[in-house]
Amino acid sequence: MPMTDALLSSVEQLFSLATLISMLIGVVAGVIAAAIPGFTVTMAIVLTLPVTFSMPPLQGVATMLAVYVGGCSGGLISAALLGIPGTPSSVATTFDAYPMARGGEPGRALGLGIWASFFGALISALVLIVAAPPLALIAVKLGPWEYFSLILFAITVVASLVGHSILKGLMMSLLGLFVATVGPDPMMGVARFTFDLDLLAAGLPFLVVLIGIFAVSQLAGEVENPDELRQGQALIEGHIAVRPLAVMREVLSRPLNLLRSSLVGVVIGAVPGAGGSIANLIAYDQAKRASKTPERFGTGIADGVVASESGNSATAGGGLIPMIALGIPGSAVDAVLMAALMVQGISVGPRLIMDNPDLVYGMFLAMFLAAGMVLVFCLLSLRWFLRITEIPKSIIVPVVLVCCAVGALALNNRVTDLYLLIGVGLVGYLLAKLDYPLAPLVLGVILGPIAETNLRRALMADESWTLFFTRPISLALLVLAALSVAFSIRRLLKQRRPG
Amino acid sequence: MSTDSVPAAAPTGPAADGTRGAVLANLLFNLALGALFAALFVDAGDLPSSMWEPLGAGAFPRLVLGTLILFNLALALQAAMALGQARRGAGTLAWLYQRRLAFATLAAFSLYALAMPWLGFPLASLSFLLAVQWLLGARRGRRLLVAAIVAVAFGLGLYLLFGQVFQIPLPTGRLW
Repeated sequence: MPMTDALLSSVEQLFSLATLISMLIGVVAGVIAAAIPGFTVTMAIVLTLPVTFSMPPLQGVATMLAVYVGGCSGGLISAALLGIPGTPSSVATTFDAYPMARGGEPGRALGLGIWASFFGALISALVLIVAAPPLALIAVKLGPWEYFSLILFAITVVASLVGHSILKGLMMSLLGLFVATVGPDPMMGVARFTFDLDLLAAGLPFLVVLIGIFAVSQLAGEVENPDELRQGQALIEGHIAVRPLAVMREVLSRPLNLLRSSLVGVVIGAVPGAGGSIANLIAYDQAKRASKTPERFGTGIADGVVASESGNSATAGGGLIPMIALGIPGSAVDAVLMAALMVQGISVGPRLIMDNPDLVYGMFLAMFLAAGMVLVFCLLSLRWFLRITEIPKSIIVPVVLVCCAVGALALNNRVTDLYLLIGVGLVGYLLAKLDYPLAPLVLGVILGPIAETNLRRALMADESWTLFFTRPISLALLVLAALSVAFSIRRLLKQRRPG
Repeated sequence: MSTDSVPAAAPTGPAADGTRGAVLANLLFNLALGALFAALFVDAGDLPSSMWEPLGAGAFPRLVLGTLILFNLALALQAAMALGQARRGAGTLAWLYQRRLAFATLAAFSLYALAMPWLGFPLASLSFLLAVQWLLGARRGRRLLVAAIVAVAFGLGLYLLFGQVFQIPLPTGRLW
């Protein structure tokens, strides 16, 4: 099929009323799902999958992409308003959007995030169209050595980003890596550190750890002051102003940050197994390093929100690159998208673009369309979402705790996950009180299995450790990891020096 | 970066304020964790190795635990050195009393989890929501009425939403 025919065919299919309606529902569902702590984009996509079976292939995939793009933006709502990342992809969003919201500018925090997400998704869709084949070829050249080094880099970046002490940050990352080793060994299936407890037999589900560490401990911290509660104080006090166009200009006045963070998102998204959870942190780190005022990051500045949100939204397009070009899913969400295509009898791989060009062009267009729908929906419902900030803490804290319980239960339908959630929440609360940063711990739990599997694969392929230092990309990543620690130590020493 | 500005990622607490109690808490915490990690390090030595790969099931955890022990010792040493210069602060009991509502909320959440298999999600959630809102200040009048409406709406609403719409059944309870 010629390119123009394929493009016209995809436009015709995509702009049918049924597809537009199902995409709109998908966008709303994705935004809301990601805004609920513990209810991830992956879960929303999985729940959407059976609904798409009866749809034509492009309508089904476009609906799932709408959920995906909506979910990439939705995590910012609870991150900005409650300080709880709705998804792992919005961890870095809490660093600046939440202080901004608490400082009396929740409308600006959400607006910045929404516009940054929109531009991030647009940039990634453009890159997807132009650079899918060459980028995918680079991504698949990464061996286990490079993956392991990439994870070390991600861990040192996040450990150096948060808290007063790099040592405490690194310790929390390592604790996360250890927590991830509980349960069956990823290569041999041997049970490790389970102590014959059913609760630990399948390992610690990272989603439960994520909700416990961030949500439960954060919520407990919100109800420490009896005087505030007696007066019915809300999470965020003060007048709420919403100026969508002014905020859009504010985002566009940072073109370098926007472009760099979106490209970081695209590249990280194109690396199979990486994704939004790493991209938002690396984009934030890069924006901080490039800034003339890095010390202002974390105090509620626009650059931090723009970096994190454009970075995580751009992974949506990036993740499709290896899937479309090579049939390798970039993330769990891409794997579900692949499953949806396979159910329709479409084989995903290098021949996808040759055999089904209308479908692939339709996916490209659906990315743009979904990004526009998310923008319109979020801007229209912004005032409604901001009403959350007016609810007294005495109501919102127990309600969100029940939502956290639902998130933990919905994962495996096990009440034991609820006990784990409370245990992890209590530990998280005490760690926070001892000034231990919590973000590195969660990242360690998420990346632990990938780190271990790749380290062991690398040494199975060649027993020599020197390959980690002789392969150029691996070496570059290790050097970046070392530099990130050195940079952080230098910054902390500078801060402690009197005057 | 001040941790005050990164509430979700790194909230601060009195234990981080440089008082003697805070430094002592850090020291004891690091020593306890160090001992735990050492015990787990020994335990990981019993995990089987593999003839197909140079690293067995125990190598990666031991690598992580070994580094964790070193980091904990370094942090314990830091805390021990800071102990002499630390000023006196509020006692532990006063600190716990100031945060009584946070601990009470966590205790109520634990009871909620324990009661859920017996009472079921709707009744357990309704009781938890009502009890915690009362604990946090909804004692009488309009606030109590709102608390009751919120408890019913979310207790039953979430149960029906997940059970009927998402087809994810939540616990119904063993008592009935």
